[in-house]
Amino acid sequence: MRTHMKTIVVAACGFALALFTAAAMAHHSAAQFDFGQRVTIEGVVKEFNVTNPHTWAVVSITDAKRGTRDAQYEGHSASHFYRAGYTRDMVKVGDKIAILIAPRRDGEDGGFIQAFTVNGKTVGFGGLSPETGQRTSAASQ
Amino acid sequence: MSKAPRARRALIPTVAAFVCAGVIAIAEAQPPDFTGVYETYRAPQGQGQGRASGFGGPRAGLPLTEEGKRRVEEYGVLAGPTRLNGATFCADYGVPTMMTLPGAYPIEFIQKPNQLTIIYEVNNETRRIYIGDRQVEPEKRLPSRAGYSAGHWEGKVLVVKTTDLVDAQDQTGNPYSDQATIDERFSLEEANGKKVLTYQATITDPVYYTAPVTLPERKYQLYDGFIIPYGCQDEIWSELLDLRRDQLKAGKPVDARMSDVYKVREARE
Repeated sequence: MRTHMKTIVVAACGFALALFTAAAMAHHSAAQFDFGQRVTIEGVVKEFNVTNPHTWAVVSITDAKRGTRDAQYEGHSASHFYRAGYTRDMVKVGDKIAILIAPRRDGEDGGFIQAFTVNGKTVGFGGLSPETGQRTSAASQ
Repeated sequence: MSKAPRARRALIPTVAAFVCAGVIAIAEAQPPDFTGVYETYRAPQGQGQGRASGFGGPRAGLPLTEEGKRRVEEYGVLAGPTRLNGATFCADYGVPTMMTLPGAYPIEFIQKPNQLTIIYEVNNETRRIYIGDRQVEPEKRLPSRAGYSAGHWEGKVLVVKTTDLVDAQDQTGNPYSDQATIDERFSLEEANGKKVLTYQATITDPVYYTAPVTLPERKYQLYDGFIIPYGCQDEIWSELLDLRRDQLKAGKPVDARMSDVYKVREARE
C-alpha cells in the first residue's frame, strides 16, 4: 500500500490543545514526543488497544525511503478516547487509518496520537483534525 | 367570648414568627450538599485555571529544607530524562495531587452526614473524609497516599485535616513526608449559573519544608456527564494472561511472569 507521510507544523492551537497536551503529560512519560509538531501518517491497523493508562496501536506504514514496517503509537487513556467520541470497536484490525501524531523527538517511527480518521469517522483530541493538523469546530472533547 | 381564647389567638402571630425564624435558622445552618460529578472550572471567557498537578506544577521558590532540596534533586535523577511518573505505572496520585485533577478527568463527591467520599476517575482513586465523632482510632489508621481525613463543619465550610500520609511526591516531584499534615477547606457557591466547588489546601511538613505551603486554589464546576470506569492494573493482568495464552497455543510451558509483561511493554517504548 502506498502511504503518504507529510509533516505539518502547527502553530499554537489555543486552549484546547494546551489542555490535551497537559492531559498527555499527566499520564505519560511524554518527554520523547515533540508536541510542537504534527505529522499525519496513514497505514493499516494491526493492533489498536484503547486501554488505561494509555492507548497503544500498531500500524503498518510504508514510504519510499524505508519501505513497509510496523510502527507503534501511544495515545490518551480510554476515558479520554470515549469522551473524544471513540466508540467500541470503531477501529478494527485491517482498517485503513490516518493518524495525526506528535512525532518522536529522535526521528524514529512512532508518536503520540492527537487525532485519527477511520472508516469516515474522525476522533480529535482538543479538536484537532488528522487531515489538516488544525483545530476543527466539529470535533468535541 | 372568654379572655383565654382571645389571648391564645393573640399569641398565634408571635409563635408563627418564632417558628419561621427557627426554620430559617435551621436552613441556614444546614451544611451544603457537595454530592455530584465535577470537572475543572472554566471561567465565562473560556479560560481554565492553567495546568496544575499536585502542588500546582513546578513552582519555584518552595521553602524547601536541605532534606527537601536533596529529595527533589534525587527524584529528578530517578525520573530520568523521560520524566517517569507514577501514573504511567497505575500508581494512585494520592492526596493532595488527586484533588488537582491531573489530566483533567472528572471527580465525584458523594456526601452522607458522617462521610464525604471522593472518587477521582483515574484509577477509580477514592478517599474518604470522616465527619463528626465517628473516627478511626489513631493507632488503627493505616498510612497511605490518601492519608486519613477528619472533617468538621465551620458554618458552610467543610474543614478537613489529613494525616497518616506516606512519604511520596506529586507528579512534578515536589515531596511530602509521612510527617506532613494537610489542612483543607471545601465550600460551595453558585457562579455563572453553575454549582461551583472551591478547594483550598495547605501542607505543613517539617521534614521537607521550612514553612507551610499553600496550593493554588482549585475550583470545580458541576459536570453534565458520567464517571467512566477506569481500569488500569487489570490491563497488566490481562497482558500476562495474553502471554500465557500465546504459550498455551504454542504448546510451550505456561510460565510467563510479570517481568515478561514489562519486557513487552519496554519493547513498545
